[in-house]
Amino acid sequence: MSLIVDIKKKMKGFSLEIAFKTDGEYIGILGASGSGKSMTLKCIAGVETPDEGQIVLNGKVLFDSEKRINLKPQDRNIGFLFQNYALFPHMTVEENIGIALKLSKEERKQKVDEMIRAFHLQGLENKYPNQISGGQQQRVALARCIIYKPDLLMLDEPFSALDSHLKDQLQNEVLDLLKLYDGEVLMVSHSRDEIYRFCEKVVIIDKGKTVLYGDTKQIFKQPKLYTAAIITGCKNISRCEVLSPHSVYVVDWGIILETEKEIPQNIKYIGVHAHEFQMLDKALAKDEKNVIKCRINRIVEGVSEFTVHLENEKTENKNGIADILYKVNKDQWNNREEKESLYLRIPDDAILMLE
Amino acid sequence: MKKTLCLLMIICLVFSLVGCSSNTAADESTITVAAAASLKNCLDDILIPMFQEKYPNIKIKTTYDSSGKLQTQIEEGADVDVFMSAAMKQMNALDEKGLIAEDSIVQLLENKIVLIVSTNNTKDLSKFEDVLKADTIAIGDPESVPAGQYAKEALTNLGIWEEISRKASLGTNVTEVLNWVAEGSADAGIVYSTDAASTEKVKVVAEAPEGSVSKVIYPVGIVKTSKNQDLAKKFIDFLQSDEAKEIFESFGFATN
Amino acid sequence: MQISPIIISMKTASAAIVLTFMLGIFVARWVVEMKSERAKMVLDGIFTLPLVLPPTVMGFLLLIVLGVNRPVGKFLLQFLGIKIVFSWTATVIAAVVISFPLMYRSARSAFEQVDPNLIMAAKTLGLSDNRIFWTITMPLALPGVAGGGILAFARGLGEFGATAMIAGNIANETRTLPLAIYSEVAAGNMQTASSYVIIVLLISFIVVALTNYFSMKERKYLK
Repeated sequence: MSLIVDIKKKMKGFSLEIAFKTDGEYIGILGASGSGKSMTLKCIAGVETPDEGQIVLNGKVLFDSEKRINLKPQDRNIGFLFQNYALFPHMTVEENIGIALKLSKEERKQKVDEMIRAFHLQGLENKYPNQISGGQQQRVALARCIIYKPDLLMLDEPFSALDSHLKDQLQNEVLDLLKLYDGEVLMVSHSRDEIYRFCEKVVIIDKGKTVLYGDTKQIFKQPKLYTAAIITGCKNISRCEVLSPHSVYVVDWGIILETEKEIPQNIKYIGVHAHEFQMLDKALAKDEKNVIKCRINRIVEGVSEFTVHLENEKTENKNGIADILYKVNKDQWNNREEKESLYLRIPDDAILMLE
Repeated sequence: MKKTLCLLMIICLVFSLVGCSSNTAADESTITVAAAASLKNCLDDILIPMFQEKYPNIKIKTTYDSSGKLQTQIEEGADVDVFMSAAMKQMNALDEKGLIAEDSIVQLLENKIVLIVSTNNTKDLSKFEDVLKADTIAIGDPESVPAGQYAKEALTNLGIWEEISRKASLGTNVTEVLNWVAEGSADAGIVYSTDAASTEKVKVVAEAPEGSVSKVIYPVGIVKTSKNQDLAKKFIDFLQSDEAKEIFESFGFATN
Repeated sequence: MQISPIIISMKTASAAIVLTFMLGIFVARWVVEMKSERAKMVLDGIFTLPLVLPPTVMGFLLLIVLGVNRPVGKFLLQFLGIKIVFSWTATVIAAVVISFPLMYRSARSAFEQVDPNLIMAAKTLGLSDNRIFWTITMPLALPGVAGGGILAFARGLGEFGATAMIAGNIANETRTLPLAIYSEVAAGNMQTASSYVIIVLLISFIVVALTNYFSMKERKYLK
């Protein structure tokens, strides 16, 4: 099971340059809206054509600009779950699910019935898409693209059309249902949570270009690149100057960090995830390294945590540099010992060194 | 802004009214001639320019259509000074309604009824009665076109009207009939000799036999409501002059 | 009033709508599926032309093609013995040419309003382009297409200028309702003309009512 994608396509305002490989795992494409994610899927599906490059699925060449191969979408055996599901409104649930099957009437009915049971759609066979709920529509759409056992299943922002309170439940359901499918899964989303939850590998794209790809958990933990850090949700990023292999001056925050790990020469930014800071009391703060004495600018209350907007007390003239964000569990914050001042320590493994 | 617009509109209105009245001044040297379609070519091309040369101060406006339509228009009060129809019928009808000036009717011209075919025609037609050999025939609608009335009259007297009327395409004016034959769409057609003379795309097969059709008289008369009866008379006199007669004959008319 | 013009008009309009319907859908599909934007624009202009040109101009153009003294017409007559002008067929041709743009534009607009995602989904599901057109595009575009058909029928029914030129005005053969009305008015038979006009008004009204019915018809699967 493998998918190789290496394509270029000129688009309005930017050019798409995507390259990645998968090996049977679920892979996600993460990027902002308009960064070219949907176009990438459409190129793989064959409904759009890249300007150059190649797309190979399980050893079968779907597209190769040099060899002038460009298979019609009908011949690519790919399943594509559209963002708005694209269910045929004039066909019943049954007819929608079975439409891709080239079998006799009886065989088709049998397979469709199987799917209906597996996807918990009993009783809805003769209903039309506008008569069923959003979650049911999604299951029908998913059943429709799995039933003919495609080599690759692509999901385009599968959860963005759903109400947020349903998302959780539906995400679990879909995860279960996907177990019924044997092949590659490629998912596109702008939601970090979804990608993190579903995909073992991730491709991060920014303005049409692949920024990074690899193991999801690893990339989220250590984004390595500035743009990757932003896309994976790191809120605290500052310019930096490398002073020595183990110390670096964090320009925007006015502190010097000392690191256990060696700092590569080409590091230009330092990042820290908002959840990773450690609160210290005054006594300990004096002895530890990599501690900031903070001036709190604002505290924003969320449902289960506080977001503390702060800056280094020592810095004056911020000149438009953003606050440091510290996200902390409400209980933890309310029960803190040191209430006079705020001392935050940056643990060594929380320091993100970014190119 | 609104005030300026209003002022502008008032000025325009005044000008148009003034313009109208100054038109009546000009009306005194313009006459409107309503004539049958078959007279268009000889009037527009030669005779009217000739008249204008002789009388540069008299302007002539013309309108051409089937005599029946013109009759209707005059009945409805159209501003016409001189009426030239292609048959006595329309002139008489207007005269009976008192719409023609006393004693102004002159039986000016005579036109012949002829059978024509397209010059590319392959069918062998030599007599008027050979019209039966044609598959498609074009004639004017007898109910509204004088040329059509004459055609019906001639064919009836020859005993072939019933048969012909079954396959005839009825034109609403004689020019339409002529064009149908010129294009070859109709194998044969019945028009005036003047029509046949006006285009090289058709040739005359035969005239309607002597006695089979009443004479086609083209009368001219002055409409009673005309404000320019003197000028109208000048025009009619001109049409009866020798030089005018020569022109008419060159176009296929016979003059009295 | 004679019944012949009514019958001829209904025959002509019916034959014309069958041809126009098929032609309009076929051509609209062709243009919609075309890849080159420039070609689309040029073709669209050509196919819309009869709508904006006066019918007499269309009649003139048809005459140049079909007239027996013109190249094509001459060929047809000499080698195939076919003379189209002044035949009932000519009334149908005039009606088809005049009403075609209406059908084409309605069909094209209806096809383009079908959600493109549905077409893409159908392709990825393996449906052939033909199957997609007949089982997805057409059913969803049907109200627009049917509405266009009805309008085209009415337009073909009312065709006059081009018909007179190429089909002539032959009683019981090519005298359609519009031609009959015009003749009767020219002859001063207002009563007869009025009777014909009422028939035309009636048919037109039914046509408009049907168009509205179709475009507003509730279909189960749409909210």
